[in-house]
Amino acid sequence: MPTAMRLTGLVKSFGVKRAVDGLDLQVPAGSLFGLVGPNGAGKTTTLSMATGLLRPDAGTAEVLGHDVWTDPAAAKATMGVLPDGVRLFDRLSGRELLSYVGRLRRVPPADIASRSGDLLEALGLAADADTLVADYSAGMTKKIGLACALVHAPRLLVLDEPFEAVDPVSGEGIRSILRRYTRDGGTVVLSSHVMELVESLCDQVAVVAQGRVLVSGPVDEVRAGSTLQQRFLELVGFRAGDEEGLAWLRSSSG
Amino acid sequence: MVALLVGLKLTLLRNGLRRSVWRTVGLVLGAVYALGIVVAAVAGLVALRWTSTEVTAQVTVVAYAALTLGWLVLSLLVFGVDETVDPARFALLPVRARALVPGLVVAALVGLPGVATVLVALGLVVTWARTPGLALAALVAAVLGTLTCVLLSRTATSAFAAFLSSRRFRDLAAVLLAVVGAGLAIATNVLSRGLGSDLGVLTTLLQRASTAASWSPFGWAWALPGDVARGAWAQAGVHLVLAAGLVVALGATWTAVLDRRLVEPSTSAGGSGTVGRSGRLERLFPADEAGAVAVRSLRYWRRDARHVATLASFLVAPLVLLVTLGLNPDVSPRLVVLTPCVLAVVVGTSVGQDLSFDGSALWLHVSTGLSGLADRRGRVLAALTVFAPVLLAMHLVVAAVTGGWASLPGALGLSAALALGGMGAGAWAGALWQWPGPVPGESPFQRGSSGGLPALASAMVVLVATGLLGLPSLALVLLGAFWRPWAGWLALPVGLVLGLAALRVGTVQGGRLLDRRWPEALRAVSERAG
Repeated sequence: MPTAMRLTGLVKSFGVKRAVDGLDLQVPAGSLFGLVGPNGAGKTTTLSMATGLLRPDAGTAEVLGHDVWTDPAAAKATMGVLPDGVRLFDRLSGRELLSYVGRLRRVPPADIASRSGDLLEALGLAADADTLVADYSAGMTKKIGLACALVHAPRLLVLDEPFEAVDPVSGEGIRSILRRYTRDGGTVVLSSHVMELVESLCDQVAVVAQGRVLVSGPVDEVRAGSTLQQRFLELVGFRAGDEEGLAWLRSSSG
Repeated sequence: MVALLVGLKLTLLRNGLRRSVWRTVGLVLGAVYALGIVVAAVAGLVALRWTSTEVTAQVTVVAYAALTLGWLVLSLLVFGVDETVDPARFALLPVRARALVPGLVVAALVGLPGVATVLVALGLVVTWARTPGLALAALVAAVLGTLTCVLLSRTATSAFAAFLSSRRFRDLAAVLLAVVGAGLAIATNVLSRGLGSDLGVLTTLLQRASTAASWSPFGWAWALPGDVARGAWAQAGVHLVLAAGLVVALGATWTAVLDRRLVEPSTSAGGSGTVGRSGRLERLFPADEAGAVAVRSLRYWRRDARHVATLASFLVAPLVLLVTLGLNPDVSPRLVVLTPCVLAVVVGTSVGQDLSFDGSALWLHVSTGLSGLADRRGRVLAALTVFAPVLLAMHLVVAAVTGGWASLPGALGLSAALALGGMGAGAWAGALWQWPGPVPGESPFQRGSSGGLPALASAMVVLVATGLLGLPSLALVLLGAFWRPWAGWLALPVGLVLGLAALRVGTVQGGRLLDRRWPEALRAVSERAG
């Protein structure tokens, strides 16, 4: 199976803190790949380095055969990206933003119009297409970000926390879009905290903690008979809380 | 609570310094500068001890009233309020504004302008320490006056920020502020000239100014020692009551504003932010990526308060100059015709700061693999679309009003060299220096110290480069005005060619620079302040 994304020995430090520490990852083409890990595990940093937004201190990132840091133009052309925790050009309306992304991606104008309409419809944003993105709710902002990542029909989607703040109905919509996208040959890499979601949606999963990949492979292999949640807790070394811990908190209920 | 808030401010300042070398350098430079001002001011105040109490009273009232006015105007128009300790962050804690206000006032004094003001205010005690009574009056004046400075700037910016946070009024208010500022400047200018030509004598002018200042809210507190020295106890009483009343009233107003902000910390007002669907704007520009960037920039010029505020602040200087020079019959129309060039001097800085205004939204340009050149060209294109018509219209109107049509080509040439060259310099400097700007939707006053040295360096380089590029045309214009008229006409082609060449070099070099350091630029603009 060919590899859609190959990360080798990625390292990134912020000051004294080593956010990503020699991370290796291979994402098979056509897979729906879930990246899970506790807060501060380095998921966002890893995805930023894999998409050309953050320069790694060491290591290489390769996307569909193009090195992200030596041949950025070719690599970026094949990717659709939805980063987490960054702003959008939110003084544009949803439609204007989509059209802007389309034009930056050199999508033919006729295609921009038709694809924008399709995407806004599919993500339930058609009624708010001419509202400024600044006035969107958190979930709507996620959805328009996803639409922006899709508008140039990329072969690889890299999504950081795509389901955060999205309501269950829209979430199901996004899931079916992603499933159809991988069925048609696309590859998706997404990060999430929600194990149940990754378990039900993804076919491949990698557990990241302290800037390294602890385990990676097909979901069934990784969870090894248990649930992904249980396996995850074992891997990152969770100690169940002491029964006597936080005893003072009980008094507040009285 | 006071100790807690001051401690918080100190911690935040220290952490800010630890995170960025630029900020440390900026702080040191600022400290040296502030120290120089304080030493000079205190030396002057000590020297005043050898003058009569009358002169001392007049000088100090005018100077300190100007300081108080400076706090208000500078915090509104230039620096913004340093919201290192942002009251909105306390929204989740069970505190009342009444408990926060004293601590926030003291925290506001922790910082360069605050410390400098306190030192200068204590200088008032030094100069008045001639009798114990006078020293006491000066101490009361110094305390009340310093409190007025802080409370005035906080209350004014809070009130304006609340006003500005409704998007509908935001653009209007920014423009209004600029117009008011320009109006004030023009009024003082006309007023001072009227006084100067009628009386001419400095002492009379000082006397009038001090009387005016001592009865303006900015001078109430500072007039106190002078009243005591003259033995004018009634006036002293009135000034004391007025000054104390002002501090109490400002404190109450600020508490009320804070109370509201603690309940609704979010500044974003839900509004009907819908826009028309017409793609007319998009068809006006080339269909490539640079055209797309230009269209997006232009939409921001219209919809984003920060850009509107920039535009308004750019217009203040030329308007003030125009009115001042235009009113003076001694100034030749050949010089008045040049006033719009003042706008051309500063437009380049808008291109230099455009990238930083994007904030972390810039990731889109990085992630789509947009070429640096297309980014630079698009932003320049948008700035030209905004400023070229404004400049041209100003030149035509001024030429028509003064009748100085003969000098118009030279003036246009100078403006072309300055505006085009400045944008070229801005395109280059904007690619080299970025800083986290205020995010759209936040109060444009809430700049804090986030811009710092990169913002300063960018503006300085752009302005110096703009000035140098304008020199040949300026020389030709002056030759045309005072020697041979044809030299002035020559300024037009020279200015155009030089400006366009600088624009080309600036965008190409800036583009290359950006291609090499897109990720670093993205980090620089999205770094959180504080």
